[in-house]
Amino acid sequence: MKPSRWPLACLISVLVFFYLPIGFLVMNSFNASRFASKWNGFSLRWYERLFERHDLLAALMNSLKIATYASAISMILGTAAAFAMNRYRSRFQQAHRLLVTVPLVLPDILMGMSLLLLFVSLGVKLNLITITVAHVTFCLSYVALVVQARLQDFDFHVVEAARDLGATKFQAFCKITLPLLAPGILAGGLLAFTLSIDDYVITYFVKGPGSDTLPTLVYSMIKKSKDLPVINALSSLVLVATFATVAVSQRLTRSGTVRD
Amino acid sequence: MNRRQFITAASATLAASALPSCKSSANQKTLTVFTWADYLSDEAKAGFEKKHGCTLVIDTFDSNEAMLAKLESGAGGYDILVPSSYAVTALKRKNLLQPLDHAKLKNLGNVDTDYLAKAADPAMEFSVPYMMAPTCLSYLSSKVSDPVESWSMLDRTDLAGRVTLLDDMREVLGAGLKFLGHSLNSTDPAELAAARDVAIRWKKNIAKFENEQYKTGIASGEFFLVQGYAGDLIQAREENEDMRIFIPKEGSTFSCDDLCIPKDAKQVDLAHAFIDYLTGADVAAENMEWIGYRAPNSAAYPKLSEEFRGIPVLFPPIEIFNACEAIADLGDQLPLWTSEWDKVKSA
Repeated sequence: MKPSRWPLACLISVLVFFYLPIGFLVMNSFNASRFASKWNGFSLRWYERLFERHDLLAALMNSLKIATYASAISMILGTAAAFAMNRYRSRFQQAHRLLVTVPLVLPDILMGMSLLLLFVSLGVKLNLITITVAHVTFCLSYVALVVQARLQDFDFHVVEAARDLGATKFQAFCKITLPLLAPGILAGGLLAFTLSIDDYVITYFVKGPGSDTLPTLVYSMIKKSKDLPVINALSSLVLVATFATVAVSQRLTRSGTVRD
Repeated sequence: MNRRQFITAASATLAASALPSCKSSANQKTLTVFTWADYLSDEAKAGFEKKHGCTLVIDTFDSNEAMLAKLESGAGGYDILVPSSYAVTALKRKNLLQPLDHAKLKNLGNVDTDYLAKAADPAMEFSVPYMMAPTCLSYLSSKVSDPVESWSMLDRTDLAGRVTLLDDMREVLGAGLKFLGHSLNSTDPAELAAARDVAIRWKKNIAKFENEQYKTGIASGEFFLVQGYAGDLIQAREENEDMRIFIPKEGSTFSCDDLCIPKDAKQVDLAHAFIDYLTGADVAAENMEWIGYRAPNSAAYPKLSEEFRGIPVLFPPIEIFNACEAIADLGDQLPLWTSEWDKVKSA
C-alpha cells in the first residue's frame, strides 16, 4: 500500500501556520512603512531606532532577569512541592495539592490585585523583586505539576539500591534522584521562564517605578508611541537569539550523549 | 566543556550580570513619573535631568482604568501622574491628588485660555493640561466624491461596508449627540435616546467598530472613511498622501492628558518644578512636535515649525475649536450611557 500523503500535508500546514506569522514579523521589521499592510521598501530605520531606545533595552533586560530568577526559584520550590505531594501521605495532602494547583486556574487579574494589596499592606516597595516574587507564585505550580508527572513513574528502588550500597541520603539525592528528574525539572523551568517573560496582567499590578518589563512597556506604546514598529525589530533579534540558543543547546546535548 | 559545566557557567554569568541592579545611586534625587510610553521627548527628559541634577524614572500604564485601579489599591511611589482629564476628575473625587502650589508654577500663564475654558479643571487647582488631540474623521480623497466636513458623512450609503467607528461609547454616542446639536456630555435621556438611534443608523453602514486597525486599514485603502484619534491619523497620513483628516463642523471630542501630583508624592518640590518646566514655551514646543499632539500652551505656538502649526486638526479655526468639547466624567449618570450603548451594540 502506498503511504498516505496526509501526514506530510498536515505537517506542512501546521509548520506554515506556526512560522508564517513569525516570518511576516521579521519581514516587517525591515519595512520602511509604519504599517504592516504596505511595503514601502527595505529599510533598517527601526533597527537604528531600537538601539537609541535605552528604555526598551532596559525593559528587555528586566524581563530576562525576572524570568531567570523566577524560573530558578520555582524550579527549586516546585520540585520540593512535587516531592512532598508524591512521597508523603498526611491529612493535609489534599489541601496541599489544592493550594498548589489553584494558581493555575486563578484569573491573573485576581492574583495581581491580591498580591498588590499584600505588598502595600506590608509596606514593601514595588520593584523588580516584587515582580519576581509574584511570578514565582504562579510559576511554582507549573513546575510542581510537571515534576509530579515525572515522579509518577519514577522507580524509587534505584534510590534504595544506592542507599544499600552505602550512599548517604544526600549522595543518593545528588547522584541518582536529581539526574533522573532533571529533564522534568528543566522542562518545568522552561515553561516557567516563558510564562514569566510573557506575563502582563500580574506584572502590571506589582511593578513599581523603573521596573517596566517588555510586555508592560509594549502595551503602553500601542497607545501613543510613534515608534511602535521597533517592536518588530526587537522581536526579530530576540527570535534570532532564541534560535541560536536552541541550536547551541542541541549541539551540547548531542555531544554530551556521545560522551556518556 | 560538558553540558553541566556549560549550564553552571551560563547561569553564573547571568546571575552575576543581574546583581549590579541592586545598587542604587543614593545621592541623586529621583522623580518618578507614571505616564504613557513615549509621551515625553528625549530632549525634554535630558534637559530636566540636567537642570535639576536629578534622575527621571518613567513608569508606564496603558489605560486610565488600569492606572486608577493600581493607585486605588494603594500602590505609591509616584511623583507625577499623566492621566486623561476624566481620570483626573475620578482621582480627585477619590482624594488621591494634592492641590498644586501656584507660587511654584511660574509658567501657568502660558497655558491656552481658550482650552482652559473647556477643561474639567479650569482653575488648574489639581491638574495642568499637558497634551490634547481631537477625535477626527478621515477619508480617502480618491474614493469619496464630494466630501462634506460633517458627521453626516457616516450616513452615506455609497461608502457602506468601508467605514469604521471607534469602539468607544463616549466617542460614538458623543458623535451622535454632536450631530444632533447637543452637548457630548449630555445626560438628558431624550437626547441620549435620539443619539442612540443615530448611532444605530450609522452602525448599519459601517464595517465594524475598531480601535486599532483603522489606521492600517485606511492607510492601505481597505477602509474609505474612519473615525479615529488625531495623533494616529496624522501618523497614518505620512504613509498615504490620499488621506484627508478633518474635525466635523458640528464639533467633536477633545481628549486631554493632564499633569498632576498624587497625594503621597515624595518629591513635591521637584514635581512642581517638572510641571513648570514642561509648561515653559520652548520645552512645550519641542515636546509637542516630538509627540505629535497639541500642548495647550499659547506661548509655545509661535515657536512651532510652520509645518506643525499648519496641521488643521491640531490647530483648527476658532469656530470649530469652540464647537469641540472635552469628555467629562459622567459620575453616577454612567449607567444611563452604558444602557444606551448596549442597545447600539446589540442592534
